[in-house]
Amino acid sequence: MKHSVLASAAAAALLAAPVAKADETAPPNRTIGYVVSGLYWAVYQTADGKAECPNGLNDGPREHFKALFPDNGAKRPVAETQLKREAAGYFPTTTDEPFTFQLSQSKIAKGLNLDGKADDNDFVGPDGEKGIDNQLFRVLGCVRGYRAPDGDAYFFDNNTLITDRYDRWLFELTDVDSLVNDDDVTVTTYRGLDGLLKKADGNGMLAGGSQVIDVKWGGRYVAKIKGKIKDGVLTTEPTDVTFPWATFGVPTDREMRAMRMQVKVLPTGGTGLIAGYTDLENWYRQTLRSSSTHHQAYGQVSLPSVYRALRKAADGNPDPKTGENTSLSSALDVTLTQVHIIHPDRPVAQAEGAVKTAEGVKERAGARR
Amino acid sequence: MKFNVHRPLLGALLMGAALAGCSNEGGKTEQTAKAAPVPPAFELASSPPRHRLMSAEQYQNTISHIFGSDIAANAQFAPLQRTEGLLALGASTAGVPFGEMQKLQRAAALVAAQVVDDGNLDLGVPSHRDSLIPCKPADAALPDPACAKTFLGMTGRLLYRHPLPEARLTQMVDEAGKSATQLKDFYAGLASVIEGMLISPEVLMIHDRTEPDPERPGRRRLDGYSYAARLSFFLWNAAPDDRVLRAAESGELSTAKGRERIVDMMLASPRLEEGVRGFFDDMMAFDTFNNLAKDASAYPAETGAALTAAREQTLRTIYDHLIVKKGDYRDLFTTRSTFMSPELGPIYRVPTPKGWVKYDFPADSPRVGILTHVSFLASHAHPGRSSATRRGKALRELLLCQPVPLPPPNVDFSALNDPTSPFKTARDRVSFHLQNPVCAGCHKITDPMGLALENFDGAGQFRATEMGTAIDPSGALDGKSFKDVAGLADSVRNHPALPSCLVRRVLSYGTGSPVEREDRPLVDYLTGHFAEKGYRYTDLLREIVLSPAFYDVTERAPEQKSASAAN
Repeated sequence: MKHSVLASAAAAALLAAPVAKADETAPPNRTIGYVVSGLYWAVYQTADGKAECPNGLNDGPREHFKALFPDNGAKRPVAETQLKREAAGYFPTTTDEPFTFQLSQSKIAKGLNLDGKADDNDFVGPDGEKGIDNQLFRVLGCVRGYRAPDGDAYFFDNNTLITDRYDRWLFELTDVDSLVNDDDVTVTTYRGLDGLLKKADGNGMLAGGSQVIDVKWGGRYVAKIKGKIKDGVLTTEPTDVTFPWATFGVPTDREMRAMRMQVKVLPTGGTGLIAGYTDLENWYRQTLRSSSTHHQAYGQVSLPSVYRALRKAADGNPDPKTGENTSLSSALDVTLTQVHIIHPDRPVAQAEGAVKTAEGVKERAGARR
Repeated sequence: MKFNVHRPLLGALLMGAALAGCSNEGGKTEQTAKAAPVPPAFELASSPPRHRLMSAEQYQNTISHIFGSDIAANAQFAPLQRTEGLLALGASTAGVPFGEMQKLQRAAALVAAQVVDDGNLDLGVPSHRDSLIPCKPADAALPDPACAKTFLGMTGRLLYRHPLPEARLTQMVDEAGKSATQLKDFYAGLASVIEGMLISPEVLMIHDRTEPDPERPGRRRLDGYSYAARLSFFLWNAAPDDRVLRAAESGELSTAKGRERIVDMMLASPRLEEGVRGFFDDMMAFDTFNNLAKDASAYPAETGAALTAAREQTLRTIYDHLIVKKGDYRDLFTTRSTFMSPELGPIYRVPTPKGWVKYDFPADSPRVGILTHVSFLASHAHPGRSSATRRGKALRELLLCQPVPLPPPNVDFSALNDPTSPFKTARDRVSFHLQNPVCAGCHKITDPMGLALENFDGAGQFRATEMGTAIDPSGALDGKSFKDVAGLADSVRNHPALPSCLVRRVLSYGTGSPVEREDRPLVDYLTGHFAEKGYRYTDLLREIVLSPAFYDVTERAPEQKSASAAN
């Protein structure tokens, strides 16, 4: 890639931009890119967990196996024991099982009011907001693997996000006249191809890196969304999205319907929520595919039991034929890190024009002082 | 084993130059801008024969050239002492202590094992023996003297940099046979001999052998093999290859025409890149990166990977400018063309796709020349803050060959290190320093140019202010004032000592000997020619390696040096 025509192209782009509307918080070229550097299924937890899980946490595959097949000297064929339990995961049913699944009893949940209503099935947000929809939390809230800080799914989903490149989810904000208040911005999602840069002390991600968009295979991850920024918080209109996900290096896609963001955005990154209706079958299949039984055992995630709970808790996208809900309201805690998003399919000069980051402008302005 | 020791007069001469620098703001010790007529000093120039320890890079490159780049040679050499601005000169006074020899032997054993390994197709590892050993034993479990002789003769010639005497080769073949018998493995027998070769003093030490110079009765010159080695370790940072050794064997290197042909071939070789990088890595004192660490809390973008990339960025820039573009050496200090990598992107605050890409700083950017690269700025700064003094000192010593004396041992830094200090900028602190006449003498020769780089913090990141106060990047260098870093870059670029310093360093690096006072006419002459040729680096290399100073050798007696110095 040649950067030599940077100055003229970038200067022209800057001059052409309607900078008159922009305030001092506007990013250069009215554009700023972010990469997802932290993504956790939002599970509201109290210190001892008793409020949300008064009956304790759920048992996992190891405990269920022991209950079903007690070590009493009986000889049992593998097909009727281990393989049977494996099959129960791959061919889940909604028939009753001899275990009680502990749903979260919390009144409080992180998330957004997705349906605009506040009914009995809804939660209250940590800040007191009513009508929070997060049925996935109701299912996962008492599953050890999804609880911070050491649940295996909680840890490994994000560890993969940092160490792998498949699940590189980008957000490019354009038409940004202010990072504080702007009633009309455009958010475009992409899949990126590059690694994340860690800070020198190893704690946290470094802003200012670069991500090249996957234009060859990443088409399904592209979504153009309208949004606004109020008091520094970006919110977006509901949009169906597919986003890349990987656990233990197993690449998958997640499907979220009517996805929306509520993220505090800064020049160096952002934190907040991504919420929407997670497709039930997609979530279950991808979770099953990504984590084998021994991983599920680490986090006491008994997927056949989880499936039954998911089906009962589903609250969105009813099947037009059966009327059964096919998705669950859900939320993800998200951390964004600022990056330069490079469009390889654009003329080189435009990509180079992205050099006009806030810092770059400062550097060059300083040179002219 | 004989080691040459630098001449004792040198230290006194350098100290004299340094003190002169303190009193007259750096004093122009080198003044050559135009070519002088060929002086007798040039025709009669020579350098002393040396006995130098190969560097780790030279060892690695040599292994790579002989056996292939997939043979890992993780040989660790003890750090050399920087002498006269170059580590390469420290190689003339270095040895290999017992502890280091143990490490080298481990590395040698690993190399030997790789050379003879049979690969593993399941793991995708190719068989090296099939490609590196040009014959197969009749029985792999038994000695095969003919095959061993073929391989060891071929390999030994390249490692020892001359054909092995028949008796020595026979001895090696016998040793390989004994080992093969004992181990019931022909290849293991070869490996044991290769391991021995790789730790042989004759391989690790680059020994200059001399012979009478028939063109200059009464004088001596390097013999063909030693000239080949000196050429190759200088231009390629590795041992000579088959072509260069053949030129030595045939006597071609003993003729002016033959030397020119081989030198031109070597200058056109891709291996020149290793030589250029090796020299400038040494001249720029980039060995400091081996231990450089920054305060991670102050500079979160300055990761270990970023520092490694910073070193690489400047070396790439130098090679691209001097060799690929055949640019003017002085323009390295004003060029805005460089290379960028993702690790450097957050520091320079520019978008950078994967890998190394060419990058041009905008015309109005404060990044101008290699002095504004992170490599220079970060390596000559404190772990958590910038240093105008260190940067100015490095500029003087590394690029202008003007030594700056060490600070006195009793400097009181308390006022500067006081966290409640009223000084907001480096300029404030330096001004305070200059109030002390003991400090002022030397700080006057380092700080005025270092302050022009204050728009870059200790990590090399741009900043317009320090502690909320706008930074004034004005400065001066040897009487030339400037208002910003671009002015500094121009002043350095046009400083008369810049090209002559390079000539001194290249000459020293190539011959392994420091430039002495009596060598000044030669340096002046070479600098003049360098200027006439538009300061093209390859022309300078060519002129030096074809000069008598490079291949004629004389062990100067102390009396001769004194007499020469007096002239």
